[in-house]
Amino acid sequence: MSEELLVVGKRLPRWQAHAKATGAAKYTVDIKLTGMLVGKVLASQYPHARIKKIDKSKAEKLPGVEAVITWDDVPQKLYNPSKLDLILRHPEGELKDMYVISEKARFVGDRIAAVAAIDASTAEEALKLIKVEYEVLPAVFDPIEAMKPGAPRVHEFAQNNISLHIDFPVAWGDVEKGFQEADVVVEETFRTAKNHICQIEPCACVASFDADGRLTVWSPSQHVFLHRRKLAELFDMPEGMIRWITPHIGGAFGKYGSFGVEPICVALAKKAGKPVKLEYSREEDLFGTEARQRYIATGKIGVNKDGTITALQEKLIVDGGAYFTHNSSTTGVNMGSFVGLYRCPNVAAEADCVYTNVPPTGGVRGYGNHEGTCVLEQLVDLTAKKIGIDPIELRLKNIKHAGDPSNTGLPMETCTLEECIHLGMEKIGWKEKRARKKGNGTKRYGIGMAIMMDVSGAQPFNIQSTNAYIKFSEDGSANLIVGAADIGQNLMGTLSQIAAETLGIHYEDIHIVTGDTDSSMFDSGQHASRSCYQIGNAVIMAAREAKKQLLERAAIKLGVAADELDAKNRRIYVKADPQKWVSVDEVTKEAIYNFEGEHLNISGKGSFSPTQNPPPFAVVFAEVEVDTETGEVKLLNVLYVNDSGRAINPATLEGQLEGAIAQSMGYTLTEDYFINKETGALESDNFNTYKIPSALDMPETEVVLYEEQPVPSGPLGAKGGAQGAMVAITPAIANAIYDAVGVFITDMPATPEKILEALKRKKATN
Amino acid sequence: MRKEIAKFIINSRPYELLVEPNITLVELLREQLDLTGTKCACGVGECGSCTILVDGKPTLSCSTLALAIRGKDILTIEGLAQGTTLHPIQQAFIDCGAIQCGFCTPGMILMAKALLDENPNPTREEVKEGLGGNLCRCTGYVKIIDAVLAAAETMRKGAS
Repeated sequence: MSEELLVVGKRLPRWQAHAKATGAAKYTVDIKLTGMLVGKVLASQYPHARIKKIDKSKAEKLPGVEAVITWDDVPQKLYNPSKLDLILRHPEGELKDMYVISEKARFVGDRIAAVAAIDASTAEEALKLIKVEYEVLPAVFDPIEAMKPGAPRVHEFAQNNISLHIDFPVAWGDVEKGFQEADVVVEETFRTAKNHICQIEPCACVASFDADGRLTVWSPSQHVFLHRRKLAELFDMPEGMIRWITPHIGGAFGKYGSFGVEPICVALAKKAGKPVKLEYSREEDLFGTEARQRYIATGKIGVNKDGTITALQEKLIVDGGAYFTHNSSTTGVNMGSFVGLYRCPNVAAEADCVYTNVPPTGGVRGYGNHEGTCVLEQLVDLTAKKIGIDPIELRLKNIKHAGDPSNTGLPMETCTLEECIHLGMEKIGWKEKRARKKGNGTKRYGIGMAIMMDVSGAQPFNIQSTNAYIKFSEDGSANLIVGAADIGQNLMGTLSQIAAETLGIHYEDIHIVTGDTDSSMFDSGQHASRSCYQIGNAVIMAAREAKKQLLERAAIKLGVAADELDAKNRRIYVKADPQKWVSVDEVTKEAIYNFEGEHLNISGKGSFSPTQNPPPFAVVFAEVEVDTETGEVKLLNVLYVNDSGRAINPATLEGQLEGAIAQSMGYTLTEDYFINKETGALESDNFNTYKIPSALDMPETEVVLYEEQPVPSGPLGAKGGAQGAMVAITPAIANAIYDAVGVFITDMPATPEKILEALKRKKATN
Repeated sequence: MRKEIAKFIINSRPYELLVEPNITLVELLREQLDLTGTKCACGVGECGSCTILVDGKPTLSCSTLALAIRGKDILTIEGLAQGTTLHPIQQAFIDCGAIQCGFCTPGMILMAKALLDENPNPTREEVKEGLGGNLCRCTGYVKIIDAVLAAAETMRKGAS
């Protein structure tokens, strides 16, 4: 990019930051409609039980209660709460196994009934009056137990509780031959963590039918159009009879790629004939909305003595919990990430997705890549130790380069893993620190690293289309209208910077219209780090069209040809003679208030479907101190080297990476989604027991944005960045622990108890 | 339950309200007065999202009965700016990119105000300690801490 950028690359204030700093921003939980009822859900207290009878008559008679619903009152069809099947090329992958309200309790917290009443206390009182007769069934909480013959069956159709067997469809080479040819084969089994999203705004929804039967839903969504279509299919309504509005969203991280409480809320509003707001408590959010799959992952790697990888294989048992949700897609991504990070001639992977009587899982930031890469990157360190070479040397020997296929199989326009590794190594002082003595005392120092590649969307597996529309007002400002949601990642600020740069106007001249299916065109959703790359490209197309009209009108005014003009800083000027110019607002105003009958509301539309999928890259270094007496791990420092192409707003991108450091730290060390082995109940049911990191826990951090290779297919050189941000941090921390005390973490999170136990085992075998 | 009449000063404005004895301060603010800037995220005083200032002291409004603070002076996020002029902490949160989803922001900003009112020149470590009870899932706290330190500097300059 030889031209100077005036808006892109600047640390501009985030979209709506003022509203958020003053408390004016409205979130779903803040919405209040006239006559709005409060919804509450009756959750099963048993992990597995047949519902013999439900008597709701007493609850219905309670004054103030307007609707009580059970399985009989909801659509009698199975659905999958993930939106992905609507855009997947192979939609049969995601099984439909869920009713809006369950016909049988499959986990502690399963939805048995719901009420809508004039206020929260009446609704809670009504829940107590619903009489449920259960036939308690034996339950199974562990996937290995669940696969054994004779185990209680969570869903009738799933023999041995295996919902789906997946053979990685694009395996290549001959993996057995690859292992035979290897000098060293290393195999290890890991249990990844069932980590919960814990967005700070609890899951909520408001639903209201108008007099014509048209439904408006206010709810957080990362896929407004797909969610609208899902609701339409579920409730037998045409899509056009539903309007989905996303208010401000208090954190998403993949959560709103699934339904939250919308189907129940809509069912209540329909029955009551009044608007209903349904808001989960933190406890309900933790057990009632999706967490990560827990993978029991066996990774196998074959290498030659010089470190060349000859074969990679992954076998997964996927503890998806009580319902299927995203299991197929996340597992596919897990496999693709495991086999796709390094050059390797022989790869294979397979998985069994398993039902258990624990809360269901779904799509969480990283979406399988986090887990697949964690397993691989820990294995790489174990292998390096076995063959006695530096783990970075092993990586450098096998990493991919530009032109190689990425983790999606599409060829990479750029690949900067090598550059990022060298940059990080120097910055952190890898060689000196790695050689440092671990110490003989109880506090042992360690340093580790890991790498990753992610995606800029789900091309070629899903429909990835999007639209942007730009229209000028008479004052020279422009509306940018997109069907996407700002989930806190500052997508709207990012798109505004792209639009302003392309149009030649200022950042504050862009006024966003978003989050409303009535006013915007289709977008396939905020997932897989696609939004900046894909919608950014649509914005550029829309802006170019609008700019063309703008220049054509200005050309008449300036008496030159349109191609002699350009726009910058709110001025349209003659390129050869910049002193000759006209202001943008003069042109836009005259185009609208035109007395010669040549009216034009200057505007442009862009529709974009990607053909490429440039991966962002990360190289992460972590330093830890492990206390061998208490088992406590202190994360001292994290260095994050990231390539997301050009950073449209560096502060925004840094914010994603810094946030991911905290989330990964929680995943790796403290966030234990703990199910009671007797009762099946979630014990870590609030922030006092499910420990997400606070400011006090945070290590020193440094984030480096490597921007030397803007990606040609990206908007002004940008690609994805947010989703994959956790991926390399977790294995870097685990590898640092391994370096510090020689204990290899195979069960996340690495709590002090597990570290102590592992140290004890290590001592016993020495 | 019998409602009681109680007086409060909220964001410098006197209120005389009919209050149910079992409602919490956050319910009073959000549901009765539509001051939805104060957020409730855990309901048990573990996350700090509902932090407001009562007579200048940080208070978890989800764990405080409304009637327990009758007669007191309450500051919520809606009362922090002076007209259209933002408080230096609010401005610093915007300038430093300390806001992502924004749901923890009101509690975080008010906690920062309490911290800086007491300690106008904190170290980075003291800011971490001061904000230790306020959870954020988006930012990793880096830019929040930057913002509080930047605001402290602005406020010191303003005071001198």
